[in-house]
Amino acid sequence: MKWRVIGLETHDAYLNMALDEALSEAVRAGSSLPVIRFYNWEPSAVSIGYFQGIKDEINLEVCRELGVDCIRRWTGGGAVYHDSEGEITYSVIAPANVFPKNIIESYRLICGWLVSGLESLRIEAEFKPVNDILVKGKKISGSAQTRRRGILLQHGTLLYDLDLQTMFSVLNVSKQKITDKMIKSAEERVSCVRNHSDAGKTEVYEALVDAFTKGKEYEFGVWSRDELARAKELAEGKYRSDEWMYLR
Amino acid sequence: MIAYSSQKVKEGKIVKVEVEFDDVIKKIRITGDFFMHPEEVLDDIEKSITGLKKDVSFDTIVLKIKNIAKDSNTQMIGVSPESIAEVLREALK
Repeated sequence: MKWRVIGLETHDAYLNMALDEALSEAVRAGSSLPVIRFYNWEPSAVSIGYFQGIKDEINLEVCRELGVDCIRRWTGGGAVYHDSEGEITYSVIAPANVFPKNIIESYRLICGWLVSGLESLRIEAEFKPVNDILVKGKKISGSAQTRRRGILLQHGTLLYDLDLQTMFSVLNVSKQKITDKMIKSAEERVSCVRNHSDAGKTEVYEALVDAFTKGKEYEFGVWSRDELARAKELAEGKYRSDEWMYLR
Repeated sequence: MIAYSSQKVKEGKIVKVEVEFDDVIKKIRITGDFFMHPEEVLDDIEKSITGLKKDVSFDTIVLKIKNIAKDSNTQMIGVSPESIAEVLREALK
């Protein structure tokens, strides 16, 4: 099976999530090969899981002050702060029958590609079910998966650098509560590539491309006009809409 | 009245329930960082719980959720019918 790889791009939150959905439609329709894509978020954003309450999880006022976008994902899982500089995000979109039927095993398979990428940077990482990757017991990556109409979509983040102060300020913890103790506690639970390697972000991205494509037939692809048009339609009509944002 | 309960459930994720009720459940909102495919099934689960008596048993709630999950071939990760029922019962106490 041949894959289509879309190299590292930078978009805003709405277009990033809309591109994933547009690609899912294209893979389902047979107009696209299965896809592996990598992307950044500009401006920085907070995404929440499909089932989360936006007001429960996000400090909307602080996000407005800082110019941080807020978005509800198409996938479940928790709230994530996507720093424009501090992470690399991936998506894998393919027919579900390419992957194990068991959801944990399919997470294990795709997260295994990420673990291999980290190992090539001499960072020893392990998959921790349901959807995390740990380095020395600390979370460095989280992923979320959905399966709709025969298509599997899994996207996830790799933390390259950490900005805990901003992370806490946007994730609905009041400023008064961002104590040194809380940040220390997060440092004990969360890590990033820079804590374990001198590799630059480009080097990390290249390691991920190598690991995700190892043993696969693939080609680098660009967006078709139809995919971009559909993604822009979804970004404006769905992902930016109050109806979607305040779904729960 | 409106009641609220939140738990990190044994399957590993957080489940929050906000429920408005008098003698019967008038409105329920289930949120959290769990996974459920297809996602829209949670709307059906909420609808099936709305209208139940406030002293509905744990077993009845579990059965309602299981029936919907079975009909739509739902997969739940990090959450279960039992966990949702447990958090709801806690909110209704």
